Amino acid sequence: MKSFVATARYEFTMQWRKRSVWIVTGVLALLLVAIGAGQLTYVFDASDTKTAMARAALLLQLLLPVGYGSLLADRLVRDRQIRIAEVLDATPADATARLAGKYAGSCAATAVPILVLYLVVGVAYGIAEGDWAAAGWVFAIFVVITLPGLAFVGAAALAFPLVMPTPLFRVLFVGYWFWGNAVTPAAMPTTAQTLLAPEGAYGLRQFFGYDEEIMRPRGDLFNVLRPEVSATTAVLSIALLAVLSVLLLAGANAVQSRSTR
Amino acid sequence: MDIDIQNVTRTFRGGVTALDDLTLHIPTGMFGLLGNNGAGKTTLMRILAGLLRPTAGRVVVGGHELATKAGQQAVKAELGYLPQDLGLYPDLTARQFLDYVALLKGLDRTADRRRRVGEMLELVALTDVADRRLKGFSGGMRRRIGIAQALLNDPRLLIVDEPTAGLDPEERIRFRTLLSQLPGSRTVLLSTHIVEDVAQTCRQVAILGRGQVRFRGTVDEVVAHAGGRVWSVTTRQDGPPAGVVVSALAHEDGTRYRVVSDIRPSEDAVALEPTLEDGYLALTGAITVAG
Repeated sequence: MKSFVATARYEFTMQWRKRSVWIVTGVLALLLVAIGAGQLTYVFDASDTKTAMARAALLLQLLLPVGYGSLLADRLVRDRQIRIAEVLDATPADATARLAGKYAGSCAATAVPILVLYLVVGVAYGIAEGDWAAAGWVFAIFVVITLPGLAFVGAAALAFPLVMPTPLFRVLFVGYWFWGNAVTPAAMPTTAQTLLAPEGAYGLRQFFGYDEEIMRPRGDLFNVLRPEVSATTAVLSIALLAVLSVLLLAGANAVQSRSTR
Repeated sequence: MDIDIQNVTRTFRGGVTALDDLTLHIPTGMFGLLGNNGAGKTTLMRILAGLLRPTAGRVVVGGHELATKAGQQAVKAELGYLPQDLGLYPDLTARQFLDYVALLKGLDRTADRRRRVGEMLELVALTDVADRRLKGFSGGMRRRIGIAQALLNDPRLLIVDEPTAGLDPEERIRFRTLLSQLPGSRTVLLSTHIVEDVAQTCRQVAILGRGQVRFRGTVDEVVAHAGGRVWSVTTRQDGPPAGVVVSALAHEDGTRYRVVSDIRPSEDAVALEPTLEDGYLALTGAITVAG
């Protein structure tokens, strides 16, 4: 536990200090403003504040996790790249605890700018509509919906570069994100709007009043992952993302321990 | 903390054998491990540090079997390790980096850890820059941070792999002095291909070649191996008439060579007192007799 806390603390510090964490998120936010300005009425036309924040969160999730995953992609492999791994491996600290600490610390630090953007949106909406509950709702959406999605993205970003070059992972990840989350199921078979989508399609609809129906195009093979929205399926979706995150980290742990033998 | 290495072989993927049935006993104190690049020194260091498993053979460090998880943990708890290629986190300050490693080494009490980090920064003369980020540190300063992190837990076994490579002469002397002051009841294993480092710090030495122990004894015995075989030859020709060149110095009468040779290379060759470097060359079998 102490190794976990120590690693999480210093990984957080290092990632927090990385200018690119703030620059990339800032640039993506500007891009969202540029391409999403026309969607403002979509947010403001919502029937209530909770739904408005759910709509805003879905817009934010269009791009921000792309930067998030890309920024985390070097975290695990860089210990070998900068030749610090041997010093850390020669300590009595448990390797699994260090991996978990690295995951928790670096993911948390990279999520901070995203949380800040969410809160900015909530506060801005609160000022415009005179409803300060918006900040509370957007924070709740961040914790319940966005964090599990980011947890999955973070685990993938740490694990996959162990078995492929980091730039290749980034390219594949960007492709996956748009295919698996942003594309509508009507356009092509996609994991968007399924239980496995990190965008949190089920949780947003069940817990935060997101008011668009899940699309189930006839004959789409991913429809098996699109049950009716309910509290059970919403929780199941979050749990599945958590399980996938743990599996990815376990895989990363196995690859790392094999490479040191 | 004695180290027993018995019949250790390490073969890498692709069939490259870095250690070949190597047997060696390393006693408490300063111990030098010499060998050319590719002799297997780093592989042996990594095995002793618990970073690599031997393909075959047995390693016992301070009574702990390195083949077992418990043995590895026990050794790591008493280990200080400075690898050949040491990287540092550029975004951390020297103090933060040492604090991080200290935490991983189990120095949990905040006050004790801070004190120990301060002592190590003092020891390696980096107190003035303790709060500067490591990305601005020179090669010598980085090596000093490396030795500081290795010593944080007051290790009974200190493994330093090529510690002076890339250091300027002043840094090298400082480093050697630091190492020499360490042993006490520790085992300090110094692996290097720089003979002078061993000459200045160790009494016991082993020479590795092609994954095997070529020699095990005292530094004096290595030196003695070149007794009566070291010569100074001055010539205008391209090279000396016989022997392996240890050094060459341009001179008004030609080039003055220091050579190790079983035979007197020329009539006017002058016999010299051997050094560790001469003994090392004589032992590694690099001597060719010509002329």
